[in-house]
Amino acid sequence: MSRSETAPTFQEVIMRLQEFWASQGCVILQPYDNEVGAGTNAPATTLRALGPDTWRTAYVQGCRRPTDGRYGENPNRLQFYYQFQVLIKPSPDDIQEAYLASLRAIGIDTDAHDVRFVEDDWESPTLGAWGLGWEVWIDGMEVTQFTYFQQVGGFECSPVPVEIAYGLERLTMFVQGVDSVYDIVWAKGSDGVTFTYGDVYLENEREYSRYNFEVADTELLFKEFADREAECMRTLEAGLPLPAYDSVLKCCHTFNLLDARGVISATERMGYILRVRTLAKACCESYMEHVVGLPADADAKGGAR
Amino acid sequence: MSMKRTLAFEIGTEEIPAFDLKNATEKLPQIMAQAFEDVRIGHGDMEVYSTPRRMAVVVHEVEDATPEVNETFKGPSVAIAFDADGAPTKAASGFARGKGVDVDALEVREEGGVEYVFASRRIESKQTADLLPDLLLGVIGSLPWPKSMRWASYREAFSRPVRWIVALLGDEVVPVTFAGAVSGRHTEGHRVLSPQGADIASADGYVSAVRSLGIIPTEGERRSLIEERVRAIESELGAGFTAVLPEKTLTEVVNLSEVPTPMLAQFDEAFLAVPEEIIVDAMLMHQRYFPLYREGALTNRFIIVSNGDARFADNIIDGNQRVVAARLYDAKFFYEEDLKKPLADYVERLDEVVFQEKLGTMRAKTDRVCRLAERLCLDADADAALAGKVSRAARLAKADLVTNAVVEFTSVQGIMGSYYAEAAGEDADVARAIAEHYMPRFSGDEIPSNIVGQMVAIADKVDTVCGLFAIGQLPTGSSDPFALRRAALGVISILQSGLDISLERAIDDALRIYREDGLDFDQASVREAIIDFFVTRTKVMLKDGGSSPDAIDAVLAAGITEPVIIAERARALDAARKEASEAFLDLSTAYARANNLRDAEAGELYDASLFDAVESALADAVESARTKVAEALESGDYPTALDALASLRQPIDELFEATMIMDEDMTIRANRMKLLNAFVGVFADVADFGMLSSR
Repeated sequence: MSRSETAPTFQEVIMRLQEFWASQGCVILQPYDNEVGAGTNAPATTLRALGPDTWRTAYVQGCRRPTDGRYGENPNRLQFYYQFQVLIKPSPDDIQEAYLASLRAIGIDTDAHDVRFVEDDWESPTLGAWGLGWEVWIDGMEVTQFTYFQQVGGFECSPVPVEIAYGLERLTMFVQGVDSVYDIVWAKGSDGVTFTYGDVYLENEREYSRYNFEVADTELLFKEFADREAECMRTLEAGLPLPAYDSVLKCCHTFNLLDARGVISATERMGYILRVRTLAKACCESYMEHVVGLPADADAKGGAR
Repeated sequence: MSMKRTLAFEIGTEEIPAFDLKNATEKLPQIMAQAFEDVRIGHGDMEVYSTPRRMAVVVHEVEDATPEVNETFKGPSVAIAFDADGAPTKAASGFARGKGVDVDALEVREEGGVEYVFASRRIESKQTADLLPDLLLGVIGSLPWPKSMRWASYREAFSRPVRWIVALLGDEVVPVTFAGAVSGRHTEGHRVLSPQGADIASADGYVSAVRSLGIIPTEGERRSLIEERVRAIESELGAGFTAVLPEKTLTEVVNLSEVPTPMLAQFDEAFLAVPEEIIVDAMLMHQRYFPLYREGALTNRFIIVSNGDARFADNIIDGNQRVVAARLYDAKFFYEEDLKKPLADYVERLDEVVFQEKLGTMRAKTDRVCRLAERLCLDADADAALAGKVSRAARLAKADLVTNAVVEFTSVQGIMGSYYAEAAGEDADVARAIAEHYMPRFSGDEIPSNIVGQMVAIADKVDTVCGLFAIGQLPTGSSDPFALRRAALGVISILQSGLDISLERAIDDALRIYREDGLDFDQASVREAIIDFFVTRTKVMLKDGGSSPDAIDAVLAAGITEPVIIAERARALDAARKEASEAFLDLSTAYARANNLRDAEAGELYDASLFDAVESALADAVESARTKVAEALESGDYPTALDALASLRQPIDELFEATMIMDEDMTIRANRMKLLNAFVGVFADVADFGMLSSR
């Protein structure tokens, strides 16, 4: 496979994307230091999508999805993986062209491949959020989620932000022409010393898959969920939506771990999701009130779906 | 004589969802024609064009101006229009308002010696070019979208962002601005093949300009192109190869490209060890590929439809093959993981899947369906062997919902369960029933092929319908999220195949089981609503199948609620009527007459000694028919019951001809009433002949 000879390494893909979006005027953030299930959930997207102010950011985000763990045995699935997240508000008129240019920036000749925008609507019941957009396919492989946010936390987004979430492993597998995530070349020194994704993360996948599915202390997790829920409400009473939102993320991750441990029944699951949604919406309301400075009347502002 | 020019109007967008695009494109010409009519612009033919990034209409022979209109309307007479003081009355002002003129502007003219008021209206001719900006803006806003969105800071909504507009009347640009997009004469090209786009000199050149960009601008042409190329690939591959192109996937693929190029690809043959249904699901549902079969067997070849540059086919095929390989690797992995445990072990985990919030999990549903299936077996007099299989299949029917393969590829529910059941050594009928208990899956689909599957299917569907009715989740006109109508129709079709099961009893059993499990609901009203629901579905099904509505109503009036019996009788009634239409027409006329004359209060206990010969003949015929009808219905022979009724035609006609029912002698009159009651009574269990139309 000749593609891998000249193809960028995993870290080069990241660096080029950062450079590209920096040139588009984005604030390049570093990954948020809290467990999140997707780049969307970081406060730089969820909360900053609200309100009238212009906002442009791009950042790498490690994402945790405990139930997707496969003990390092599946070449396509990981319980911890990276997204490259872009959020621009208001959405620029030439955003699709800019996105295609970003693909060229990481070495994908878009003229020589079949790049498609295939309908994919996004909805997050836990965030009270939805948007319309596409999944982007390159030669049939889904590499990016492209979404125009319409509502977050029950609030209508005005102006409308556009979110672009690249699956970094998928994208790099495509660019490097490898069939297993663990074969991705992460870094390559001038002396030829090479580190693969497997070198960096295989052990991590094995250990965390065991931890998530078999070892995590469920008693502790149940308690943590309840404690974090209380802490979130207490923090909101103090009028501090940003630290309160950290507790929402903790609740989400704790719930995901409990789910992976198989101790949440289907009926209970709905209950937990509702509890997280209540907290997330309360944080968005508090953010609207304390940061954006608009009356936090979600129902009145929320457009009909 | 005014001039005529062509209008070309294109809305350029980011990629519109395939099905929404198809639907909106169909509506676009109607919306445009209506808009023209509303402002009275004359025009010729319209053509509609669409690709994922554009929707366009070309309107030919557009009049340059609207016609000037001079109309005069005659109103009330002067006597009515003005009061004694010569002031206009309400009649006059109402007339003036209705015609859109001022009451003072009414004119008085004489017509046939009487003076009337007249309203004259003059509508000025307007320049089409002046009307089009608002008209076209209105058209953009009128397109129907199931979901629409806003973008940037604009307030306008559309399916996806509008990025450019071409609006040309002849060679002039019609100014239109929508959400930041300003109309002009530039159209965008294909993203890869013709990114430069094209400038269009005049409306007549719109279509050729788009074609010159390599774009295939109609859905129909793209579809034909794909179909032709697929056929070419089939024949290149050699004898026996056929691609399967389901309508839904084809429609989607047609509307996912501006320049479709079908290409042949393949995957590693080793994956053919994975059940075919998973492979097909992965290809059709997830990737929109068309699988290739050879003599009915799935092969490792498939067809992709690219929107890219065909010169780079190798790249594109290679990429797609990698994606399929990854998907099939997952499928194989899941399948093999699932096989590590016998299917029965998954039943416990069904408590992780909610059936319906108030009705509990799939585990609870499984328990209910097992109990209901057991009752159905008793009702059908099933032997122990059959009952055993039904019970086992009901227990395992939903187990695959928690297997990895079904969680990943939902459309293979049931089918995977069947594979896992076979692998675990379950009986072949049981395995097949697991696969087929979801059938019929859509209108016109087959019913389960064996009786085990039929029993489980009925138990499953009746449980669903009864449960959702019990919690008040009835389907509404537009919403039927649990597909209750389809479930009911499925039950009816299965019952019609000859299963000796009473639906009413099944409903009672299902409701009893819900009650035993602690669900609280109003027994009588829920039961009635469910039975009514099935009866309504039966009516719809019969009408769709060509039964005449009056025959169905006549049968229903006899109080029949079992769908199978309703269907049998309505069909027999139609058949009998067709065979002897004259006799049936007479009989229903006589029945209606008797039914109108009679006095139901009088009872049927007539005194035969008071009868004359004609009356005696009818009485004998009634008694004989009564016996025959009872026997015929007992043995389920409805046509014979109808025959028996038909034999009453002559004696009743003779009675009406020979006798004055309303005899002066009250004793004789009362006795005749009783005879008529007896006559009408014979019909009661068969059909209400009064409802048969006299067509």
